[in-house]
Formats: sequence, structure tokens, C-alpha cells
Amino acid sequence: MGSNASIMLQQEDLQNICQQTGFTGKQVQRLYSRFKLLDKRDCGYLTREDLLIIPEVNINPLGERLIDVIMEDYGENNQINFKQFMYLLAKFRQGKIKSSITNYNTRESKLRFLFDMYDRNHDMKIDRTELLDVLKMMVGGNIHEDQIATIADHTIGELDKDGDKSITFEEFCKTLERIDADDKMSMKFLS
Amino acid sequence: MYQNKSSIFLILILGLIIHKYYCKEQTYVHNQAKPARFHVAEFNFDHVSDVYAITLWILLGSLAKVGFHLSHRLTEKFPESCLLIILGLIVGALLYITHLAEQKAYVLNSDTFFLFLLPPIILEAGYFMPNRPFFDNLGTILLLAIVNTLFNTLCIGLTLWGFSFTSLYGGTVFDMLPCFVFAALISAVDPVAVLATFTEIHVNDMLYIVVFGESLLNDAVSVVLYRMFDSFAKIGQENLIPTDIILGCLSFFVVALGGVLIGIIFGVVACFTTKFTEHTPVLEPLIILVYAYLAYLTSEMVSVSGILAITFCGMVMKQYVSFNISKKSDATTEYVLKMLSSIMETIIFMFMGLSTVSDHHSWNTGFVLMTLLCCLVYRVIGIAIFANLANCWRLLELTRIDMLIMSYGGLRGAIAFALALILDETKIPRKKEFVTATIAVVFFTVFVQGITIGPLVKCLNVRRKQIEEPTMSAKLTNRMMDHVMTCLEEISGSGGSNSLRDKCRNLDRNYFKRWLLRETPQEKMDIKLLQTFKKINMQSAMKVHDTSKGLVPAPSSSAIHTSASGTNLRPESTFANFSQILAANLPEQTVPDLMFFENHHGAEQYRDDAQMHHFLDTNLYRARPRATIHLRSQDESAGTDGVAHNRFEKSYHHRNHIYIPSRLDKEQIHGRKAGKTSGGTGRSTASKAGSSNITHSHTHSHSPKHHTSSVSKQQNEKLRSASPVSDQKQQQQQQQSKTRSKSPSLSSDQPIRPSSPTAEMYRPSPPISIRIDNDDDNEILDGTTAAERICPWRRSSIPDAARSTSTSPVNDPSNTTQTASNTNDPNLHPGPLTSANYSGTYHKSPEYLGEYATTTKPEEHLSRPNIRDLFNNQSRIPDEKQENDMETNSDESTTQL
Repeated sequence: MGSNASIMLQQEDLQNICQQTGFTGKQVQRLYSRFKLLDKRDCGYLTREDLLIIPEVNINPLGERLIDVIMEDYGENNQINFKQFMYLLAKFRQGKIKSSITNYNTRESKLRFLFDMYDRNHDMKIDRTELLDVLKMMVGGNIHEDQIATIADHTIGELDKDGDKSITFEEFCKTLERIDADDKMSMKFLS
Repeated sequence: MYQNKSSIFLILILGLIIHKYYCKEQTYVHNQAKPARFHVAEFNFDHVSDVYAITLWILLGSLAKVGFHLSHRLTEKFPESCLLIILGLIVGALLYITHLAEQKAYVLNSDTFFLFLLPPIILEAGYFMPNRPFFDNLGTILLLAIVNTLFNTLCIGLTLWGFSFTSLYGGTVFDMLPCFVFAALISAVDPVAVLATFTEIHVNDMLYIVVFGESLLNDAVSVVLYRMFDSFAKIGQENLIPTDIILGCLSFFVVALGGVLIGIIFGVVACFTTKFTEHTPVLEPLIILVYAYLAYLTSEMVSVSGILAITFCGMVMKQYVSFNISKKSDATTEYVLKMLSSIMETIIFMFMGLSTVSDHHSWNTGFVLMTLLCCLVYRVIGIAIFANLANCWRLLELTRIDMLIMSYGGLRGAIAFALALILDETKIPRKKEFVTATIAVVFFTVFVQGITIGPLVKCLNVRRKQIEEPTMSAKLTNRMMDHVMTCLEEISGSGGSNSLRDKCRNLDRNYFKRWLLRETPQEKMDIKLLQTFKKINMQSAMKVHDTSKGLVPAPSSSAIHTSASGTNLRPESTFANFSQILAANLPEQTVPDLMFFENHHGAEQYRDDAQMHHFLDTNLYRARPRATIHLRSQDESAGTDGVAHNRFEKSYHHRNHIYIPSRLDKEQIHGRKAGKTSGGTGRSTASKAGSSNITHSHTHSHSPKHHTSSVSKQQNEKLRSASPVSDQKQQQQQQQSKTRSKSPSLSSDQPIRPSSPTAEMYRPSPPISIRIDNDDDNEILDGTTAAERICPWRRSSIPDAARSTSTSPVNDPSNTTQTASNTNDPNLHPGPLTSANYSGTYHKSPEYLGEYATTTKPEEHLSRPNIRDLFNNQSRIPDEKQENDMETNSDESTTQL
């Protein structure tokens, strides 16, 4: 499979992707074979179902939301092609060393991704309902509504500095200053 | 300083006296030949001598520690371990010069050391092990612990042996195998020394756990190597056959895995046992301790690594036990562990100093220097090699500075010393040299490295401990990151540590939790997240409680609790002090109320749950900023609770001030509106004022405003607008607060709220002291959103913030008086929160300060902040509280055990 997939990836595409995303050729090849593996119908793009079929994603409380983000922000028409797929993953490359930083894997873009997990209406604000939605996903449905609401209010209260009852990206970043989001939002891509 | 000196002298004199008596009796008793007569009182020291000596040693150790911490300057410059060793040296020297006793009685006995002194320290370390960083770095830790220790042992052994062919040792011959035995014991990094040192320098979690984890896990290696070479030495170099060596290698796996296995088995059994201790909660802490100790003893019995066993036992227990046992037991366990390990550590270091002064030394300059050099050089080399190797798979790579600190933190300690002492002199003729060299190395690392590592860390600008604030947002985002990364790793097909962690978590949830916990947690529910929330809730409630206590007007409290009125009239300076103490150790003062309700775990608790939360969310937002600011203003008192006080936060905080004026104005207008129209936010205000127990915090929230007259006026207005509602309930409330015992059942006029099954997860929930009347509660529910309700209160936190940073907490008294003027409604003061209680806790407080100062792991408080700290003290305060409230609820407090 691996060798087969690599043939299908055009050489210039590969170089293009490498340049833009900072992945090495080997990594791209590997990810391409992974992409092909997920793409069961062999049509060159992934759909929601393709991703949801991965068991870990399926049971993950935030799996669906993540796929929403991926499909809407990175793909188009509920599809994501390989290039878009790479742009997505490029965000999670390690950005520690200066030379490895591209436009994609800055700290801000990582935080932005997190922020987008909440902010689904793209108004650059996390409001109460958005937070509630995510919270419900994360704590499960068994908890009393009030309790979730309390938690959400508390969270907003913590983050909200200007009192508009919603969290802007700046406020969001500020609270995460002390969390090592850079490390936590990075993964090691096998080459 | 003088105080300190005198205390040291006292201790010394005490030691001497003890000693004198001890010897006198020993000599006199033997020579007695009196006619048999009946004695009214007999002096029978022999009967108690051993235990007496032990107890006195413990006392001496405690007093020494207390003494050291009376002087701030001393403990700042020198690590405690150094001071203790010096003290031991002095006492030892005195004993030696005066020839008071045969030295043996006071030399560190390795049996005592391994059976009594060491286990509590290791258990404590295991029990409070930060699991997440530990397992995240497990690969690196294992690599360092196993391979690096092996490397060190071999290199040190070979080098020492190699130099014995030169004239460096002055002609003394060292055989190969004894050299290796010595290398095995000297190359292992010592967990006790590392703990004692690293907890004081507050490096980041990763660095700490790598060094500390290594020191814990290398025990298996060093035990095996030590035992192997020791028995090889006994067998004799010429009789060795290859099989011995192969068996030795095999025994490593047996020792390491056996230890881990025994630890886990005992841990699981302990958890399983606690599943059934519902009716005998007093035994719970004991069960935990006994199982852990059994794990240690068992593994020592079958000669596998006891340290690994007890570490893992502690880690396993911590995961599940705290869900099962009552909160009190949890607190007790943790406190007892801290206490034991602290005193054991003290004694170990003292004894090390003491045992140094003896005749069993043979100083060989060449050998000692060579050993020291080897230890340092190979440590650096080993770390350089293996850390770089580990970097190949590490996500967060170890930098050069990390490596430097790691190698510099390779302290040797009492374990090496104890192992050196049990060497068999007939088989290893150079035992004396080895002991001396061990002491030299231990002293060098503890003194030179221990003292300089702090400044070094500062100087190199090592990434300090990231204080993970227990904020909801941080927790939430952290969790989200985990989820996202897990998914993405799966999608990208690179199974990283996140996926592994997820699998472990699923396993844990599906099997272990089900078998080991009394109540199976709900599926798909994020317990941790809820726990964090509860923790925050509780903390905030406590801070509310605390601050309100400080500001409670005396008349109102005495109106309710006439019995306690005597203590109400405290000088104002007490208030000032109080706020400082408050800042230093916020959580504990408030605990009593929690304990009240802890006693009633029954159905009432669940019913009250939702109401509690409503109370809390009306309070949290106001309370939190204030309290944290208090903490921040107290930069000195490091390790108070989870809130960070680093420079960064301070500046961050100051930046905030810029906004204050404009925001204040805007919100004042808003507040006035709200006050006049009794709907919307005003309504919730009213309802809050009406509900009896909430209002103390409410009252408090006003207080910060009183430094600006306009604001205070507004508050008055608000209060007045609130009063109609509160008046209605005043009578009833007053009654309630008088008779209100700790049991909500007595005042159970609320309808039973449909509490979801998951309410059980809120078991360690915040104080219900804070009852909310049902109708108010509903109003809050139906009315504005919580966020809106909060808004007016948030505003109050801002002037507060401004005040408490610009001025000192000493401002509190003025607030108190001001608050007293407009809040003398007895309703505003909840029953149990009398200042009598408060003063009681206050008098206790200096002790707590001391406790915090002497606690061996100050940064533990930072890392796993509050809940434990709360609990640490929880166990003690309630009693006091109960005493105070004895007349109203004596039966509850007694039935409760």
C-alpha cells in the first residue's frame, strides 16, 4: 500500500506541500498512505464518515465536534482532500525550534484551532451557548443542566475580562499563557 | 536569629540531658542490690528505655525542625537537610567528646533505616506522585533509572578499581568486586535527598519528575547490583561462574517487576477493602497505611524491591481510594503520610550527621577524592548520553540546561549510607574506607550541590514550575487539548502517547473503577472535570466564607451566638493579622463548615446539591478575584494553595488596573438601575440577600466598595431594596440559624430537588452551610442567567482588586467597621460562622503557618493544590468548631463518628 500510494502522489505536489507545511518528504509520504487508508472509497477525499469510522474518534466525546471543525474550516462541502488534510496536520507539528516554524504551526494558530473548537459561528467570540455545547460533550449527558450551566458561567467568569459575557480570542489566549499549549498541541509525526 | 540560636541550644541541652539520664540508669540499674521491699514508686527506666529514646529522638527532630523554621534567613540560605545534618554532627560530637554513651546506640542502624525510616517517605512520595507527568516521562525515567544507573555503577566501579593499581590510594589495595559493591551503592541517586532538595527549588514538573522518578526507580537496579556484587564478593572472585552473572541479570527483572507487582496487588486489595469500610470510617486511614507497609515488608521479605512496591502501592491506592473513603479519612491519610515522612526525613538526616562522628572511619584522601570525582563526572556523562538518547522520542526535548540540572541534582543520600553500613567487614575488608567515602560523597552532594542548586536554577533561568491554576478554563482547555490530540493522532495514524493514555483511561474506567469503587461512576462522564469544578467551587466558597468571617460585625454574631460573644471582641490588629494568615493558608480556616455537612452524607446531601451550586455560582465570581489578590499580595508565603504568586501574575494583575475607573463608572450606573428595579439582576440580589446563609458573603462583597463613598451608598440602596424580601424571612431565618444544626435535615423545608444520579459525583461538595431558600433558588433559576446575575458582582471585585493590591491587607479592619454599620441584620450572618469559631481557628493559625513552612514538600501544594491542603487541616478544625457549637448540636457532632 505504502509504495503504491507514494507513486500516486505527484512529485511536485509533494515538494509543494513540504515547502508550505514544513513536513519532510518522508512524513508526507507516510501521511499520504494513511490518508489513502482512511479513504476507503478511493475518491481522493475524506468525508465525515471516513473519519468517524476510526474507533478512537468515534468514542471520543469531542470527536464529532473535531470533525465538524475539520470539515468546515479546512475542507469544503464536507470533504477534505489530501492537501487540506496536510494543512490541518501541519498545525500540530512541533514548533519549538525556530527553523521548524511555518505559518501553520505557530502557537497562535494552535490556540486558534482550540478556539475554533468552541466558536462554531465564527464570530470570534465564545458565548455561553457555545461553551455549554462543548461542556455537554465533555462531561456527558448525565449531569444536570444546572450544573453544566454553573460550570459554564464560572468558566466565562474566569476568562471574561471585559464583562461582555463572552470570551474573545485574546481573552482565551491570555488564560492559556501559563499552559504549555505549544507542547500539548504538538505531536510527533513519524517519518 | 537569636531565637533560633537559643532554640538550638535548648535542643542540645535537651539531648544531653536525655543522654545523661539514659546512661546513668543503665549503669545504676545493673549495680543495684537492694533488699526486696515494696516501693511506692519505682524508677524503671530499663523498662521503657528503647521506646523512650526513640520518642525523644522524634521530639528532638521535631523541635529542631520547628526551631529552624523560626528563622527565615537560615532556611532561605540552607536547605533543611543541611541544617539537620549539622545539628546531628554537633550532637554527635558532643556525645563523642563526653563519652556519654557507647556510640552504637545512636548510629544509624540500617535495619531501623530500611524498616522504619524509609517506607513512610517513599510511600508519601508514591501517594502524592503526580501521575500524569510521571507516566508522560516514563520512558525517560526508565532509561535513566536503569541504564544510566547501570552505566554509572560500571564506570565508577571500573575506574575506582583501575586507580587502585596506581599509587593514588597510598598503597591501600581495593579488590575489584568490593569496588563494584561500593559503586553500586554510591551510584544510585537518593530519593530522600532529591525530595528534600527539589521541593525547595521549584523547578518545572517535568524536570522534577525525571530526577525524582529516576531516584525512585533506580532502587531496583541498585538493590540488584548491590546484592549481586555483594554475594559475588562473598562467593569470591575466583569461584564465579558465568551462570552467576546471568542469574544476576535475571534477578533484576524479578526484583523490579516483582516489586511493582506486589505493590499493585496490595494497592488493589487496599482499594477493594475500602469498598466495604462504609461503617467503620475511622479505620480507613489505618487500612491504607497498613496495606502499604505490608507491601513494603512483603517485598523485602521475598527480597524484591520494596521501594518500588510501596511506590506503586501508593500510586494505585491514590487513584481509587480517595473515591471510596470518607473525606475525613482522606484528609487523615494524607496528613499522616506527610507527618510521618516529614519526621522520618528529619530523623534520617539527623542520624546521618550523628553517625558520622564515630571511630569507624578510615580517611583515604585519594580514594575519597576519586570517588567524588567519579560520581560527578559519570553523572554528567551519563545524563548527557541518555538524555540525548531520550530526546529522540521525546516530544518535549530536554535542553542542555535541563540536563545540567538533572546531573547536578543527582544527590546521594541516606540509602547509600545505610547500605554502606551493612557491608560485611569480613568479606569486604575495606568497609571503613567505603563508609567514609560514602559519607564524604553524601555530604558533598547534600551540602555543596544542595545549597548551590537553588541559585543555579535561578541563575540559569530554568523553566520553573508551571503552576497549573485550578481554574475551570484551564482544566477545560487542557482536557480539550487531550481529546483533540488523541483524535488527531488517530487520524494521522501516528499512535502517540495521547492514544495510549486514552486507552489506559478507558481500561481504568471500564474495569478498575467498576471493581474497586463503591459507586461506579457514570459512563462517559468526565469525573476529573467535575472534580476540578468542585474543587474550585469549594475553594471559592471557602474564600467567601473566610473573608466574610474576617468582616463579620461583632454585634450580629453575638446576637446569634451569645455564648461565643466573649471572643468576638478582638483587637483590630487581629483582623489585620487574620487577613495575612488568611492569605497564607486560605483553605483551612473554612473547612469546618464543610465538615458539618460531610457528616450528613445521606439523601439530604444530594438534595441540597443543586442549591449549593446555585449559592456557589452567585458567590464564586465575586469571591475569587478578591481572595486571589490576597494571595498575590503575599508573595512570601509560597506554597499556600493552588494560586500562583509569580511575578508574571502580579504584573498581569497590575495591568488590569488600567481599566478600573471607566468600568467602575459604567457598572455603577448599571448597578443603580438594578437596585431600583427589583427585577433582573436586582431581583437576584434581593433573593440572595433574603436567603440567610448566602448573605454573609453578600455582605462581604459590599465591603470592598466602601472605600469609595459613592459605591457604598449604592450598596446601601441595594441592600434596602433587598430588605423587603429578607424581612419576610428574617424571623424564620433567625430561628433557623440559631437552631440550625449541621444537619440540613432539621431545616429541611425545601422540596427534594430532582437530583440526577450524577449528583453523587459531587460527593466532596462544597459547604452546604449555605442554604438557599427554595423559592429564591427558583427565582434565580428562572430569572436571569447566572452570567448576568454575576455581572453586578463582578464589578465589586474590581475596586476590591485595586484596594488590596495598592494597599495591604491591613485595610480589612476599616472595612469591617464599615460593613458593620450597614449589615447589622442578624440574618446577614449565618449561624455557624461566628467569630468565635473564627477566632478559634485563628489562634490555631500560626501553627499552620509553621506547618506550611516546615512541610517537606511545599511545592506539592502548588502542584496539586487545594483539596489536599484543605483536607490537611480539615481533620483538626472541625473539633474545635464542634466545641463552639456544642450547645446547639452536640448530638450531631458526637454521633458522627
